[in-house]
Amino acid sequence: MWWFRQVRAVFVKDWRTELRTRHALHTIALFAVSTLLTVSLALGPAGVSAETRTSTLPVILWIILLFAAAAGLPRCFVAEEEGHTAAALRLTAAPSAVFAGKCAFAVALLVGLELLLTPLFLALMGLEIADAAMLVTALVLGALGLGTASVLVAAMVAQARGRGALFPVLSFPLLIPLLLLAVELTRGAVAGSLPPGVAEQLLLYDASLIVAGLMLFPVIWNP
Amino acid sequence: MILPREGNCSRTSQPARYTAAVSTSSFRFDQLTYSYGPRRVLDRVAGTTESGEMLLIEGSNGSGKSTLIRCLAGLQRPQAGSIQWIDQGRELDDVARRRGVGWVGPDLSFYEALSAAENLDFFARLRGLAEDPAVEILERLGVPPQRLVGALSSGMLQRLRWSFALQHRPGMLLLDEPFQNLDSAGEDATRALLRQHLEAGGMAIVASPIDLGLASGRRLVLDPTRSGGGA
Repeated sequence: MWWFRQVRAVFVKDWRTELRTRHALHTIALFAVSTLLTVSLALGPAGVSAETRTSTLPVILWIILLFAAAAGLPRCFVAEEEGHTAAALRLTAAPSAVFAGKCAFAVALLVGLELLLTPLFLALMGLEIADAAMLVTALVLGALGLGTASVLVAAMVAQARGRGALFPVLSFPLLIPLLLLAVELTRGAVAGSLPPGVAEQLLLYDASLIVAGLMLFPVIWNP
Repeated sequence: MILPREGNCSRTSQPARYTAAVSTSSFRFDQLTYSYGPRRVLDRVAGTTESGEMLLIEGSNGSGKSTLIRCLAGLQRPQAGSIQWIDQGRELDDVARRRGVGWVGPDLSFYEALSAAENLDFFARLRGLAEDPAVEILERLGVPPQRLVGALSSGMLQRLRWSFALQHRPGMLLLDEPFQNLDSAGEDATRALLRQHLEAGGMAIVASPIDLGLASGRRLVLDPTRSGGGA
């Protein structure tokens, strides 16, 4: 129970500081909305042919989500190191609880972004969804994997020099399988049909990231 | 930390009664070595302290005092040597040692967007403290609990560091320049807290480049030009 209380405390603290400073919120939301507007102005509902809509537009949605996450989430640990608060956190919290709390914050932030971005994207691109439940599954599982991987890499990057360049170099290879599966699931939601096993593979990939993160994070976090 | 609700609680001129986690303990480190790249700042350093005792670490700027304190707190891993904390016959592992110390240091910071009370409440939750002593400690040290940490003066920030260090009744206080930026009232209050901690059977290791006027039979002088300091 103590572990869960620690996770909750980190989650609540991160949201409280974020709602007051709005570093990640502003960065992620501004990046996502401006990219969405650029894409919609360039392509619009008529910019993509009916034959290629199902295959193309889910890719664009996930690329926007990926880069929005990359713009805002690395700060979750960089801020702790630069603000010199990491030492107090190391002295008081279990590393796995810090990781889980940060992941919960990142996933909640991404789900919030998806709630804002996805309806706008569907409306501006004129994309219709055949299976809404499948879209929700894709978005939730995608956010879970994207948030977890981003937090794990952010923890590594925060310890290093050249932080800005390192995050995409380290995180994107880790995220490619996740994005391919999330795109496939989103295509299935648009088309109303899906090859079997895609949601299960995405769930397994997420679970692997979480387990790997819980095992690796103490090594990264402790001196 | 347990601060009795009765008695003096009128800010810094009347420091709080403090009760450390009373136990028979010893804390010793031996052959500690630490280098930043090619520059060796700690070279086979050794020291020891026991319940109710204080070890003073002295040395000029750059002699490795802060590095030693961080190593003892478990925030940096020495490249060689051992650290041993035996509490009531049981040796504490690295995790227990990290959670059991109270650390005050110039590089200890808090969340600037949160108030002093919110910061201490957060760390109380992480430490699993059943009661939340945060506001009481802050009031006794004269820190405005609702003021954002980003708006605290350097002296108030130092008092907040003390509150953080004492919050969980640590058996060992690791104090790196503990009275810096404090006014006379703040220094009196924190000196009283340190004295009460020792009287209650706690241990302390205090590092400073200047003589703090603390009475202790144990003294370790770090000299960057000499290796193998010991106390």
